[in-house]
Amino acid sequence: MSRKPVEIVASAVENHGSGREAVMEMLTDVNRELGYIPEEAIRAIAAAVGVSNAEIYSVLSFYSFFSTEPRGRNIVRLCKTISCEMNGSRDILAALESELGIKAGETTPDRRVTLETTSCIGLCDEGPAMLVNDTPHTRLTPEEARRIVAGLE
Amino acid sequence: MSEMKVLTADQQPETGAALKRALEMTAADVVFEVRESGMRGRGGAGFPVGIKWNLAGAASGTDKMVICNADEGEPGTFKDRLLIEKYAKQLLEGMTIAGYAIGSSRGIIYLRAEYTYLIPAITEARRELIDRKLMGSYILGGSFNFDVEVRPGAGAYVCGEETSLIESLEGKRGEPRNKPPFPVNSGYLCRPTIVNNVETFVNVPHIILNGSDWYRELGIGDTTGTKLFSVSGDVERSGVYEMQMGSTIGELLELAGAKDVQAVQVGGASGATIAADELDRRLSFEDLPPGGSVIVFNRSRNMMNVLENFLEFFVHESCGQCTPCREGNVRLLDTARAIRDGRITSREELKDFFMLAEIMKLGSKCGLGQTSPNCFVDIVTKFVELPGGKGGM
Repeated sequence: MSRKPVEIVASAVENHGSGREAVMEMLTDVNRELGYIPEEAIRAIAAAVGVSNAEIYSVLSFYSFFSTEPRGRNIVRLCKTISCEMNGSRDILAALESELGIKAGETTPDRRVTLETTSCIGLCDEGPAMLVNDTPHTRLTPEEARRIVAGLE
Repeated sequence: MSEMKVLTADQQPETGAALKRALEMTAADVVFEVRESGMRGRGGAGFPVGIKWNLAGAASGTDKMVICNADEGEPGTFKDRLLIEKYAKQLLEGMTIAGYAIGSSRGIIYLRAEYTYLIPAITEARRELIDRKLMGSYILGGSFNFDVEVRPGAGAYVCGEETSLIESLEGKRGEPRNKPPFPVNSGYLCRPTIVNNVETFVNVPHIILNGSDWYRELGIGDTTGTKLFSVSGDVERSGVYEMQMGSTIGELLELAGAKDVQAVQVGGASGATIAADELDRRLSFEDLPPGGSVIVFNRSRNMMNVLENFLEFFVHESCGQCTPCREGNVRLLDTARAIRDGRITSREELKDFFMLAEIMKLGSKCGLGQTSPNCFVDIVTKFVELPGGKGGM
């Protein structure tokens, strides 16, 4: 059973302090553990730091890795920038979409996988590349990409 | 090809040797050595490193900060990833020397979220350096203390701009600040702060050990030292190459094995697009600004698709703070698609958009909006055939 948002924020405060400068780490901790940042966490962070809820929302909405909507247990981020595109990232995207039965930006109904496309992830020498959660996968083929996402729990 | 001295491989300094040497010098002498080396920041903007350190060292204020910009996000750049993977100790040593030089005991590595898997490499390097008294408290038995923490980004290209990065570290939206004040006087939490790129810090131990004269012998004119280039696209051997500043783009492409070249993007999406007849141009601040990203396009590539990809990137990554950048990139993307689809057929129709590109360069607050129109101007001017000649004005 995963922890409640307020519990995650409480331990983030313990680890990183309650200063404004700890906000990114608090958001990262919640986002990592729950896959998104629920309103309850926004309220808890705002209370800990001493700013308004809107202020925290404005921060988290700025960053593409943070989400306010529930996402899948696994997040697949396929690079769509030019070097990966020239190495066939469009074919990889098609393979992932067909394997998962969803489009980029969507989550499988069983909440197993969220599929996203992303700006350059710094693996241009080994493209096409994607991150599965924090782990890089490089020199993808459509078959390999299908195999990787099929194996996600 | 002329002799190439490879700073980060062949002449790998012994860990801690440069720090020992630095601590035998005065802080002012360390700054002087870095300034005399002529090294300019390796993150893209190219500000002289020694001048930045000198200003921060002289600034009034306590709790000065050394920040490493590890938010490498320019399309086509991956050299800093490789440096962190292989040279994390040298990076931390460079930061520690910087701390000594400006009078700071605290460093932060702002690491892009996409590189979270690199955290163990940094943590292990830090642990080893602390065990060997090369970081932490009472470094080498003296009175100097310095430690570094890693702080996460969350997927925002603009946070590579140093004031955006500082805003992000302070728990805010990563929107660039107005300058002045400059970070050297009032940066992170209003403290005097230097922000330098990963590659910049990795160069520091070499400069301290070998001296500024040695460093100045590398490179060309005022663009001293060597530079790492991440080469990708239509080449046989993509990867990171170290070249002396002033090498030609052609020499670099020969190393990487590029054939049938149509165009080369130098400096990433925000850099310059050069055509096949410009390969003798030199990678230096006097000619072709030596950004870390080099993407090669062969003749089978449609450059309008390249332009569309770059502009989609800028539309997504503009922070939205300044109107010229927020709206301008959208308009340039529309225009690029219109050219590709044949809805714009004459040079006359493009006039307003070249003017818009100028306005974006002049009217945007930070480097993102100031440089994002480059690809539009370069690609449309050099690669688009319209009645009456190529697209340029």
